[in-house]
Amino acid sequence: MNDALFSQLSTLGSSVILLYGFTLLWRKSLHAYTVAFQWQSIALTFLFLIIGYFGHDVELYYVAGFLFVLKVLILPRYLGKLEQRFPGERESRPYVNVATSLVVAGLLVLLAYAITRPLVLVSDLPTRGGLPLAVGLIFVGLFVIITRKKALTQIVGFLVMENGIALLAALGTYGIPLIIELGVFLDVLMGFLVMQVFVYHIHDTFESIDVDQLNELRH
Amino acid sequence: MTIPSNLISSQTMTWLLVVMIAGYGIGAVGALTLGRSLFVRAAATSGAIIGAGAAFILGSANLLSGQTLTIQISDILPITGFALRLDGLGAFFLVVIGLLGVPVALYSFGYSAAYEGRYSLRLIGAMLNGLLLTLSLQVMADNALTFLLLWETMSLSAYWMVVTEHDQPGTLQAGGWYIAMTHIGFAALVAMFLLLSGGDAMSTSFAAMRANALTLAPLARDAVFLLALFGFGSKAGVVPLHVWLPMAHPVAPSHVSALMSGVVIKMGIYGLLRVTLDLLGGGPAWWGALVLAVGTVTALLGVLYALMEHDLKRLLAFHSVENIGIILIGIGAGLIFRSYGLMALATLGFIGGLYHTINHASFKGLLFLGAGSVLHATGTRNMEEMGGLIKRMPWTALFFLIGAAAISALPPLNGFVSEWLVFQALLGGFNIPVPEVAVAFPLAVGMLALTSGLAAACFVKAFGISFLAIPRSHEAEHAHEAPLSMRIGMAILALACIALGLAPFSVVPLLGGVLAGLGGLPDTRSVFTLNLLVQAPAGFAQVSPTWIGLGLLILLALIPLVMRLMHVNRKRRVSDTWGCGRIGQTPRMEYTATSFAEPLRRVFAELYRPTKELSIDFHPESKYFVKSIKYSSRITPLFDRVLYDPLLRLIQRISRQVRRIQTGSLHLYLMYVAVILILLLIAARWF
Amino acid sequence: MIVTGYVLEIAQVALALLLAPGLAGFVRWLKARFQNRRGAPPWQPYFELRKLFGKEVVMSNNASWLFRVAPYIIFASTVTVTLLVPMIVAPLALDGMGDLLMVVYLLLLGTFFLALAGLDPGTAFGGMGASREMTVAAIAEPTIALAIFSLALSAGSTNLGRIVTQELANPAVTVSPGHLLALAALFIVTLAETGRLPVDNPATHLELTMIHEAMILEYSGRYLALIEWASWLKLTIFFTLLANLFVPWGIATTFDPAALTLAVLALIVKLAVLGGIVAVVETRVAKLRLFRVPELLGASFVLALLAVTSSFLLK
Repeated sequence: MNDALFSQLSTLGSSVILLYGFTLLWRKSLHAYTVAFQWQSIALTFLFLIIGYFGHDVELYYVAGFLFVLKVLILPRYLGKLEQRFPGERESRPYVNVATSLVVAGLLVLLAYAITRPLVLVSDLPTRGGLPLAVGLIFVGLFVIITRKKALTQIVGFLVMENGIALLAALGTYGIPLIIELGVFLDVLMGFLVMQVFVYHIHDTFESIDVDQLNELRH
Repeated sequence: MTIPSNLISSQTMTWLLVVMIAGYGIGAVGALTLGRSLFVRAAATSGAIIGAGAAFILGSANLLSGQTLTIQISDILPITGFALRLDGLGAFFLVVIGLLGVPVALYSFGYSAAYEGRYSLRLIGAMLNGLLLTLSLQVMADNALTFLLLWETMSLSAYWMVVTEHDQPGTLQAGGWYIAMTHIGFAALVAMFLLLSGGDAMSTSFAAMRANALTLAPLARDAVFLLALFGFGSKAGVVPLHVWLPMAHPVAPSHVSALMSGVVIKMGIYGLLRVTLDLLGGGPAWWGALVLAVGTVTALLGVLYALMEHDLKRLLAFHSVENIGIILIGIGAGLIFRSYGLMALATLGFIGGLYHTINHASFKGLLFLGAGSVLHATGTRNMEEMGGLIKRMPWTALFFLIGAAAISALPPLNGFVSEWLVFQALLGGFNIPVPEVAVAFPLAVGMLALTSGLAAACFVKAFGISFLAIPRSHEAEHAHEAPLSMRIGMAILALACIALGLAPFSVVPLLGGVLAGLGGLPDTRSVFTLNLLVQAPAGFAQVSPTWIGLGLLILLALIPLVMRLMHVNRKRRVSDTWGCGRIGQTPRMEYTATSFAEPLRRVFAELYRPTKELSIDFHPESKYFVKSIKYSSRITPLFDRVLYDPLLRLIQRISRQVRRIQTGSLHLYLMYVAVILILLLIAARWF
Repeated sequence: MIVTGYVLEIAQVALALLLAPGLAGFVRWLKARFQNRRGAPPWQPYFELRKLFGKEVVMSNNASWLFRVAPYIIFASTVTVTLLVPMIVAPLALDGMGDLLMVVYLLLLGTFFLALAGLDPGTAFGGMGASREMTVAAIAEPTIALAIFSLALSAGSTNLGRIVTQELANPAVTVSPGHLLALAALFIVTLAETGRLPVDNPATHLELTMIHEAMILEYSGRYLALIEWASWLKLTIFFTLLANLFVPWGIATTFDPAALTLAVLALIVKLAVLGGIVAVVETRVAKLRLFRVPELLGASFVLALLAVTSSFLLK
């Protein structure tokens, strides 16, 4: 009974998280991306708590706490600041348009299902149903980074991919050792800060945050 | 000469090892942390002397008493941990390291004083100790990971020392070539060790490899041998992998050049012997034939290019290539004999090779230190700007002369003995049952003799042009003698050359002991010597450099005595050089290094293919009066022309094609990553 | 017995030192006669030595201590070689001290210091002589080494005494093709190493044609005496090697006084014959251009290589 409930809850949570990831492909404003990321992280926090409760792992409560602080409070704040610095930037003409993006995202999730099938069959954890969704989220995050032109979108795409990896870890092995999790968080924060600096530089050099302009640097 | 093992306990050995590591450690730490540059240099020098001295004693203790040393620390490296084991072969090389390390360290005290303020003395001092430490531990490594780790560290410390004078032209490029070639060799060594580990058992210890080698397929054994020859050969500087040597050794500080020529390239020889003889236990005749052929070509090409050099250190670097060739000739002959079961002759060949190793370390080290003194005094490496230094730097000149005589294999110094041993090994070639293989030996004898003669010619040039006659430049005129520490360093090595030459009857048995048991070789400790003689097996030949040396000394004392008794005219007047009627004598009238080598350059013109540019400026009034003549000639070494330039051009062409992928678009790069990732996942899932 | 052996060694050295100037003088006298001149008497070199030892040395002010020490080293190394070469008795008491390789390298020791002494005064003549001498010496080395190889093959040793005794034991080996080829090769090398035509003209004073003379141009007095004596001694040594290694009969194998006297006489005869041959050769050929000398030495190398291979095949 418990297991079934657990299973349902985890799959539900993963789907919600994935859907927020799709928002990045659908919406065009940076503010929307920030909000989507924030809600996705909240959902992820809840999922961690659920897994911690049903899986009887106290460490996951701590991880959930850190996750909340970093990805719901700190990072969205910085993202908001970046947004204010570059107001009016929209993802108006991505490399792949919205409709096609959504279709491709769907296909990627199907691919994720195909790839993770042996893993799902082997695993006996109640959370195994959500594994394909986590891998799908990683693919979607990657896809966002590749096909979107604005640097800020790419940053959010990276963060969403990061969420996908954390989700995969949670579902697959009930999380990773605390110290490694902390290390990952630190990496994410550092990476974000570095990328922030780059965005400023790109803007200074090119008067826009269109990453495509970096092509000019080639010669 | 042996010491009973109960006099030297294994505790003593361990204690010596600790002293050695501590010495190097103190040297490095002291160099890095102390304040005044005098203290930095003193710390580095004393640390290195303690360490190298302990290494020498440790090695000698093993050679004289047979006491071994084994250390195993599991946690430092994965799988089989950090393992050291001192056996005969390692002990011998440890003695070589110690023998060269002490004088070089002493020398560096005076020499690096010139670097004060310009380059980092801390780095030089620390790296010197680091290099000596990794070298000393290298020869004791008992498993593959330890070996490779130490090998890499050794190459890197050597690299840092080579690029000390980084603002001089050509230094960084030379360092780049060095590091590239040493890593290509390293890749070969990794592959070789993988093959030797057998693949299934994850044991990388040498003991396991020895046992495993008997079960390896012949193809695998051949592959291991070829990889070893390539990897260790690139470190040793065999042709065609030698190109980095004449670039890196001249630009390094002179004591580093001495250390590199004397010891670091010998690690290639050590590795080759360790793998081929010890781990693999010998092989078919073509292995030895390949080594012999490579050695002969290396020796000849080395000396031929040395002849054409007028950069003193580049000349010495090419001679290092030549001497490695001679060592390989000895080893190659040994391997061939071993494969035919002629064990006594095989041991003779190996003993010749090993003896030449320690001889080369002493006389080449001495020569480089001497060249360093000259560089220190005159600021130039170009022989055409030197001259007359024998009067201004008498001690350096004397030591350099001893080194030059030693390397030309003149009795009674050490070069003669090792070349004699190699010759005798080659002369035994008629015992080989297969005539096709046996015919290689007379050719090798001829080539070795030619090499030896050319080396003598080259050193007449090197010593004569640099030290004798009239100074050719202002700097040479005002040269000053080297400081005391440098002179003592050179003196130690000169004494070593003399001692190794006069006492072969004690060295040869020690080498016999080193080789006993390796690869099935017999114990030849008492076979090759008889009282003060050195002899070849089956009563083939006998010499005694000791008695000859004594005879020469007696005669040198006797002749003036007899002349005095016969009331020979003893007056001596110093006057102007005979000038055939001309007035005065300027340095422009002397022979130059280029002119000295001119006849030989003509003889070997087909090999050198020198290019020549001659432009004559005639007087406008008449064609019979010449205003100025400009002559320039250059020789591009054979393998640069034939192998490396085309290879580099090919790599550049391929790189230009590959550059097409680099479009500058960030998205494209990211897409590459994503596509590869997805493909990998698909492949993992379905294949 | 052993004491007699050592005494004989010293006697041999004395004999060699005594004969050397005479041999050189004899060759010179013969050449003169062939050229229809009267020529100086064959004992002229003895007078030259006496004259030189009585004269003062005049040295260049550019030369160093090497210039002063070199004549002694050259003389000492050449005398040491005479201790190893079987002239009147084989095997020698000191036979084990050195073999043919030791002989070659001792002679190289002398050449090395002679070349350095040529460079020391800083004249162009000296440099030129040194450069040419080292070129010739270097290119002659492979031939010598291979000739040694072929001799050692048939005799089973590189020690000179043993080679001679082996040949006396089975004389057939002396007319084997290997031996004859080695003889031819070594003859050419002798001409090169001792500075005879066609490689070098011992009587010339033109810089274009000098090798040995150029190096010793600055020497005078007792130094010149020692160097000249050493070069005559080197000539004697080479002739003795050619004679006793290839035509060993007459050499004493015991310390019997009759045998020894016979050996001395045989030696003098052999040296005279060889001197005659060399005089004929020197009169007949012209001096080779320096850059043709390697071709000549290359030919001798081929002869030596053939000597070795034929010894191999006949083994």
